[in-house]
Amino acid sequence: MAAYSVAGLIVLSILLIGLVLFRPSIVAARGGKILAFIALFILPIFATGLGGSIHLEHSKSREFCLSCHVMEPYGKSLYIDDPNYLPAAHFQNHRIPAEQACYTCHTNYTLFGGAKSKLRGLNHIYVYYLKTPPAKIALYEPFQNRECLHCHANARSYEETTPHKEMKEQLASNDMSCITCHNKIHDAAKVGTAKLWKGPGA
Amino acid sequence: MTASAAALQHKLTIAGILLASGLAVEGITLLWAHPLSFLLFCGLGGALVLAGIAVYLFAIVNR
Repeated sequence: MAAYSVAGLIVLSILLIGLVLFRPSIVAARGGKILAFIALFILPIFATGLGGSIHLEHSKSREFCLSCHVMEPYGKSLYIDDPNYLPAAHFQNHRIPAEQACYTCHTNYTLFGGAKSKLRGLNHIYVYYLKTPPAKIALYEPFQNRECLHCHANARSYEETTPHKEMKEQLASNDMSCITCHNKIHDAAKVGTAKLWKGPGA
Repeated sequence: MTASAAALQHKLTIAGILLASGLAVEGITLLWAHPLSFLLFCGLGGALVLAGIAVYLFAIVNR
């Protein structure tokens, strides 16, 4: 919807630019100068800014992440038919927004986490198109509990589970990783042989 | 039309063409959620819009 609004703004800008170009006499008057300033300066800046923000929003989508061929097995792993398989269980049960599944778990929930993720995304685009992507995709750093606790902290299902209660301090300080126990995570190599969920309504 | 007015008109035409093409590229890329569309938005659309704005500002400052 927002993309169509910006597209509308872009069309309006182009029409006004066309008016200034094809009726140059209007620029002679004061009102025409203001119109030219709006058409040739204000609206393009505004449209480019809004367009950039829509592209940043698009970059959070699963479709965007999985458009790189190397990410396909990871996308497929979201459909593994196993309730203990962590990414699949989150995706299939909508514990995370399904359309932003990759970003929701793999962004960094700190002050500049979103910006950092997008800079990494730019690096991924550079490596994917201009260099050779690594044979084995790996995280930049070990997965932080902070990303899990962003949603799970203070949730009854998390707080009232015995192992979580016993290790609350270690989990909060990241001394004990969540994936020590919840270790069925993206296993790209095995996706080809795993039983897959066919999706809602299948 | 004086020579300076004609020169201004010429620069405004170049600015308008650059801006319209840049905005058209940006508009098209918005319909596609793909890394290449982001690159086109910044690398081509953004560059054309910036160039158009620069030509426009240059034209009105040097008239």
